[in-house]
Amino acid sequence: MKKFKNAEYLISLFLSILASLIIGAFIMLANGRNPVTGYVALINGAFGSKYNIATTFAKTVPLVLTGLATSISFRSGISNIGGEGQLYLGAFGAALIGITFVNLPGIVGIPLALAASLIAGGLYALFPAILKVRYNIDEVIVTIMLNTVAVLLTSYLVNYPFASEIGKMGGTEIIAEGYQLSRLVRLSTLNTSIFYVAVISIIMYYLLERTSIGYEIKMVGQNSNFSRYGGINVKRRMIFAMVVSGALCGIAGAFEVLGVHYRFLQHISPGYAWDGMLIALIVKNNPIGVVLMSIFFGALKTGSISMENATGIPSELISVIQSIIILFIAGESGFKTKIKSFLANRRAIKKAGEKNA
Amino acid sequence: MLKEIINLTLLQHTIRTATPLILAALGGLLTQHAGILNIGMEGMILMGAFFAIVGSYFFSSSLAGVLMAVGVGILVGLLFAYFVIDLKSDEFIIGIAINILAGGLTVFLLRSIFGVKGAFSSPDIVPLPRFRLGFLEGIPLLDTIFNNHTVFVYVSWILVALVYVYLYKTPYGIWLRASGEFPEALETAGVSPRKMKYISSIACGVFCGFAGAHLSLGYLTLFTENMSAQRGFIAMAAIIFGGAHPIRTLIAAFMFGFFDALGIRLQVVGIPSQFTQMIPYLGTIVVLFVVAKSYIRKIKKNVEGES
Repeated sequence: MKKFKNAEYLISLFLSILASLIIGAFIMLANGRNPVTGYVALINGAFGSKYNIATTFAKTVPLVLTGLATSISFRSGISNIGGEGQLYLGAFGAALIGITFVNLPGIVGIPLALAASLIAGGLYALFPAILKVRYNIDEVIVTIMLNTVAVLLTSYLVNYPFASEIGKMGGTEIIAEGYQLSRLVRLSTLNTSIFYVAVISIIMYYLLERTSIGYEIKMVGQNSNFSRYGGINVKRRMIFAMVVSGALCGIAGAFEVLGVHYRFLQHISPGYAWDGMLIALIVKNNPIGVVLMSIFFGALKTGSISMENATGIPSELISVIQSIIILFIAGESGFKTKIKSFLANRRAIKKAGEKNA
Repeated sequence: MLKEIINLTLLQHTIRTATPLILAALGGLLTQHAGILNIGMEGMILMGAFFAIVGSYFFSSSLAGVLMAVGVGILVGLLFAYFVIDLKSDEFIIGIAINILAGGLTVFLLRSIFGVKGAFSSPDIVPLPRFRLGFLEGIPLLDTIFNNHTVFVYVSWILVALVYVYLYKTPYGIWLRASGEFPEALETAGVSPRKMKYISSIACGVFCGFAGAHLSLGYLTLFTENMSAQRGFIAMAAIIFGGAHPIRTLIAAFMFGFFDALGIRLQVVGIPSQFTQMIPYLGTIVVLFVVAKSYIRKIKKNVEGES
């Protein structure tokens, strides 16, 4: 039964992506461009050379982390929409370590910076989690509000107390050399953070799918009353899921600082947490799915630049395609019910027709 | 210094910045009463702002711009309603999808229609007409504060009154509220909750379209990427602040508009504005906390009273 369900979901997913790409093709046609050249350029841009593949994977890094962060929180039934804010604070925390303890060797400094980002992100998620379990305050609204608060707070910090010496550019100083993760492929921003992400993904998979904590988190999300009778400490599991979620977003921010920009910037994330959320929702919070879908989204992002250069189709087309995929997936069960009842109706009409004849 | 910050311009700006918040919040509180939390308002405002520019530019008329914004608002409202009500999708997933769709689509169209990146402005865009209340012209103070705004400023105030009357003084308003609170009861009374939810969602799209048109055609006549700049979320904050009551929400929107305007004034004199900008967001959390606490206290009291 479960296998059948999975197969059915995979078919829907495939159809959703296909339909979204077809809609994308029509948009290209409406723009007077050839969709075939467009998509060929996109695939080439994403995987055509060593540099392109590296860029695709570089873009995958923050998506995997924010996607896994969404998975664990949504599985436990507490919705962390505050990833963006946790990411900003995590990024700032890492940068702060990197510009303060400049003499530390990388082997000590990098773990310290990651720990700072993890704590910053985790604490920032702990607050709405406590409001949720103690006072039953809607975490969706609180985390949305906290996003902007974090963006504003870090923007203040980097424009005033921690502003770079070279004038107001909305960023901190460059972090010390020991903290800078080495780049793996020339010209691309792909760096060693990809290895950390691989390890984190395996741990998260193990935690969610192979441990009793993961099982309990799933139970809490599916039926919190039932879990309570089953002896699970629902509140503790929810808080745990939320804090881990925040910590992962914080780390995503740290890698942007340590691996990509080498400093904190006030607009460091173009909405990675929202993209990660879309990814997790599309794959129904499955950790393996998150990794695969992140690579797909990373490829779309990278390829869209080449598509733009080759055919003049604005690269933003892909965020339109991505949001259409999520609309299809979100409407999946609804569409299925509609189609089923439509077919049942037709069958009934047909039968009635046969009887009359 | 203080004189530079707190002056008539500040009050005039407050009215101006509060208007899109009032309009969007009115739309959002209608869906709120119908039992739907619409976090897609941000995207709806953004689309409205963009299509208002498109309409005004190509038809050389601000009315065409507004109609275009409203038309797109209706479409997005229908899309939202179809997924949330008919397909029973999660309302906040659809809201996020609409926000991301709006962000991508407006930039995509900005580049494919106008061929520019970042912002579009042109002398061919017709701005919304400014409005003057004749009887205020003789009074210097009120003249500066209340006159010379776009028509939407005054429309938004009238709409607050209309929404109030609609919600609390007409049967339709009762139906709308019942569709959120007791859909079964409404069903029994022979009114379709589905229809009421659809109406609220479409109205929300229209109001957000107004808000967008006010942003792009109101004072600056330009469109910039992500022009809505969190206003959809501040509108949501205003709704929560005002307990989804039109008049209290209006007051909250004015308050948030004031802090927004104050932030701009502070920036002019070189004081960091980030903390004043945080007030709507932090304030909302405080309100939620106070409401939740008093609710818990009430329950405790009831329990004690019974025993």
